[in-house]
Amino acid sequence: MRRNTPLITLLTGAGLGVALLISSMLATPSSKPASYSAPAASTSASTSAPAAPASPTAAPAAASSPATEPSPVLSPAAVPSQPTVTKSPAKATYAGRVGGGGGSVAVSIHGKQVIAYVCNGSTVEAWLKGTVDGNRLVMTGKNHARLSATYGYGKVSGDVVAHGTDYSFSVPVVSKPSGLYRATAVVRGATIKAGWIVLPDGSQVGSLEPASDSSDPSATGAPELDVATGTARAGDLVLQAVPVDGVTGSGF
Amino acid sequence: MATRQDALPPTRANSTAAKLVVPCLIGALVALTLGIYGKLHSPTGIAINIAGFSSPGSVKSWLATGATVFAVIQVGSALVMYGKVPRVTAPSWIGGLHRWSGRIAFLLAVPVAIHCLYALGFQHYSTRVLIHSLLGCAFFGAFTVKMLILPKRELPGWVLPVVGAVVFTVLVLVWFTSAYWFFSTFGIKR
Repeated sequence: MRRNTPLITLLTGAGLGVALLISSMLATPSSKPASYSAPAASTSASTSAPAAPASPTAAPAAASSPATEPSPVLSPAAVPSQPTVTKSPAKATYAGRVGGGGGSVAVSIHGKQVIAYVCNGSTVEAWLKGTVDGNRLVMTGKNHARLSATYGYGKVSGDVVAHGTDYSFSVPVVSKPSGLYRATAVVRGATIKAGWIVLPDGSQVGSLEPASDSSDPSATGAPELDVATGTARAGDLVLQAVPVDGVTGSGF
Repeated sequence: MATRQDALPPTRANSTAAKLVVPCLIGALVALTLGIYGKLHSPTGIAINIAGFSSPGSVKSWLATGATVFAVIQVGSALVMYGKVPRVTAPSWIGGLHRWSGRIAFLLAVPVAIHCLYALGFQHYSTRVLIHSLLGCAFFGAFTVKMLILPKRELPGWVLPVVGAVVFTVLVLVWFTSAYWFFSTFGIKR
């Protein structure tokens, strides 16, 4: 080859990558200077024959980044103000079927607070509460229920365990009337708590804990929720459901 | 009939290995660096949106599918160039088609990878995601190897097709664990 065109191709791609990385970092609301690990990653990506000495520095430079990087959680409210980024992940409700379709999960994030519900329409369900750390969610619920996920890009993706059943999921943002609903009622001294996840295709799944104050509440399928009125009938009992909505903070 | 390598003195075989070692090391370093960056960098969940698509996931899936289509053109043109397609003789422009389809595939893959690494990071919460994270890094390492060995003279005839096949296979698997999954989960939409 007269000119080393493959090398030119490689360097063009690496240059494109660096440019996109820097513009992504500039678009991210973080106080981190643009010099953090990006040049290290890019010098390795563009490494060709003579640049081998640059590459050993890339690994230590990348390795030092977690110590110095502030997680991009400075103020979740700051996220929506960036015009170039996608819709804010900081106040939203995400819902969808879990992997395998055996149930659904809904995660409502309202700034730093997050509530989640996983439900298979009968006995496998759990309410979870937790913390938002950057874009990571770590949540727990009664009876060893756990959820860990990352959110952003319009989706929450991760794993949830409830009643010994492990689901993985990747669910998108949903808007009203889809989302998560909760109803509680006190009947003869017992607190009934029901949850429904309504999906954009109109389907819903819901479970009801007849004794939700217990440390290990059991559950059964919930009566169907009339989304328009927000009510569900369980025998003579009319449950009034409240949306658990990340955008408005309702139900938090 | 002895293969070319058997007929050569041992130093030739050694020099083939020597010519391949450095590019392979560099390719491995590229893959490793991308993986380390993806693992250590805190994914932001934020990405640049492109108008006309329903979500960043959809943007990436379409770009990745485009890259894969051009990769298929790569393989097809390579088969023609090597005379493997019966009754088709290689036209004069086949080399240009091969090179340009490869460049386009690569350049389409780069923004997808950057956004994936930056917004989502190296994940392993499911098998699909783990395979995607590993092979996504491996793809760029393999592509680097191919670019670095192309100008080298006197490599045995099997090297380039093997490396090309590895690049193609890895890319298809990366596409399968991402764009294919995306379209089958959320539907084929803009």
